[in-house]
Amino acid sequence: MEWQFRPARDTEMSPVARLRSHAREVGLSGLVMQGAWRRGVRAYLRLFHRLEVVGRENLPATPPYVLIANHSSHLDALSLAAMLRGPASRRAFALAAGDTFFTSVGSSAFAAWAVNALPVWRRRTSAKDLNGLRQRLAEDELVFILFPEGTRSRSGAMGRFLPGIGALVAGGAVPVVPCYLEGAHAAWPAGRRWPRPGPLRLRIGPPLDFSATSDDKAGWMEVARRCEDAVRALSPPAPP
Amino acid sequence: MSTAFAHPVTQGIVLATGAVLLLAALAIGAMTLLGRGTPAFRRELWLRYGSWLVLLPLMFGPVLLGRVWTIGAVTLLGLLCLGEFARATGLFREYLTTAVVALGIVAVGFAALDNWYRLFVALWPLTTVVILVATIPLDRPAGYIQRNALAIFAFMLLGVGLGHLGYMANDPGYRPLVLMLLAAVALNDVAAFTFGKLLGARLFGGRKLVPNTSPNKTVAGALGALCTTTALVAYLGSLIFAGTPMAHPALLLFLGVLVSVAGQCGDLMLSSIKRDIGIKDMGAALPGHGGIMDRFNSLLLVAPAVFHLINYVVGIGEGQPTRLITG
Repeated sequence: MEWQFRPARDTEMSPVARLRSHAREVGLSGLVMQGAWRRGVRAYLRLFHRLEVVGRENLPATPPYVLIANHSSHLDALSLAAMLRGPASRRAFALAAGDTFFTSVGSSAFAAWAVNALPVWRRRTSAKDLNGLRQRLAEDELVFILFPEGTRSRSGAMGRFLPGIGALVAGGAVPVVPCYLEGAHAAWPAGRRWPRPGPLRLRIGPPLDFSATSDDKAGWMEVARRCEDAVRALSPPAPP
Repeated sequence: MSTAFAHPVTQGIVLATGAVLLLAALAIGAMTLLGRGTPAFRRELWLRYGSWLVLLPLMFGPVLLGRVWTIGAVTLLGLLCLGEFARATGLFREYLTTAVVALGIVAVGFAALDNWYRLFVALWPLTTVVILVATIPLDRPAGYIQRNALAIFAFMLLGVGLGHLGYMANDPGYRPLVLMLLAAVALNDVAAFTFGKLLGARLFGGRKLVPNTSPNKTVAGALGALCTTTALVAYLGSLIFAGTPMAHPALLLFLGVLVSVAGQCGDLMLSSIKRDIGIKDMGAALPGHGGIMDRFNSLLLVAPAVFHLINYVVGIGEGQPTRLITG
């Protein structure tokens, strides 16, 4: 007897408003489309990039959790979403730059229906938005894929992590899983129109727990620092 | 084209609808020019009007184009309504169950397209069986009764109920009948609203119909709609069914009452669903109207009721070739 009438969070939104909403929930048609897209991306990454995943055992058995990684290419989010399996793959939302992926109705439809992305607006995403995302992450048992650098690295070198991620996890039970993707910058750097084939290697580290971290500015800085250290620790050693 | 508009009732309904649209545009245009009503109210009127301009061709077009179009459009309507119903109730989180209901709606559409009445009828219990069995292997009994009851409810309304509207297209004379039903349920809503506004406070002591379900509906509005719709349906029915046993005045009056009562009940049924869940509209696909199901709620109960009355008295699609696809 655990059934409850729980309307979709986006029930009374127009189809266009729904695309850009943080309340968007995936229904049957979305599931079918995203499943097809995910299978296509998996096949592409296997064929053209021979994507290798190391440390899969570090992924929590069930959502919710947050996947973070270094960011230097559009291949990053595709690889992270494609390597997930089972319910986690169906509940994964990529937090994507609104001013890149949600500028028109067409691009928003693609970001929403295929990639299952939620828009994050640089400098415009409010504390209320972040709280809403944090609440959904836990209540709906989701997986968030996000890149705390905030933008793609133009040089391929990892930049500083911004403290925004702290607002999602500090003081909560949701773990953060650090990942490092190698080869994405060489295959598809920012500024290049289409990717070229090349090997990708994804290392997944043990989850980080922030339940004891304070949910304030100092705590968020600490979250960002620990996340950055954990991702950096997964990066391949610099050549001598 | 000559077949589509062969019946005078078809011509009459299409012409009358065009005239009403024109008059409405003139009336709202005059309000805008003269500055009558608040800007927000005028904007709401134009929004509703714009939705009708898109909606009416989508409703009348397939009916005029032919049998396959009509059945296809009704099946699509059922699937769109299922999407709204599933999201509003939370059933959409049960992907497998929702998929079985969607397949059931498509299967009913196929039976109609095939003009295979036995399959059409057999699919009602058979889809119910599949809904009940599909999630057993998941070994997750929690919520079994609630989610499957919701799924059967959705299938009965949107697969079976609406499916009857599509099945009517297997009768060569379906166009005036289906157009009359579309026009009559719309008129039923308008008449209830108008009589309610004009006389609702004065007649029957301003008694509300079912205030907990729908606080704005009055007894006067419901009776006004009953009289208006019954008169229209009985008149148009006398033209559509001339020379058949259905042309008996008592049967025509009964048909009219059936359309009005089933239409109003469909409206109140959706109000009950929405009250129970705690939402205002089933969606926001149609600006000014709410969701698709909010617009088509009356048809859900009208279609099966009217189908079986006519099928009992004169038959629907009698003598037409059956099993067109399956042979």
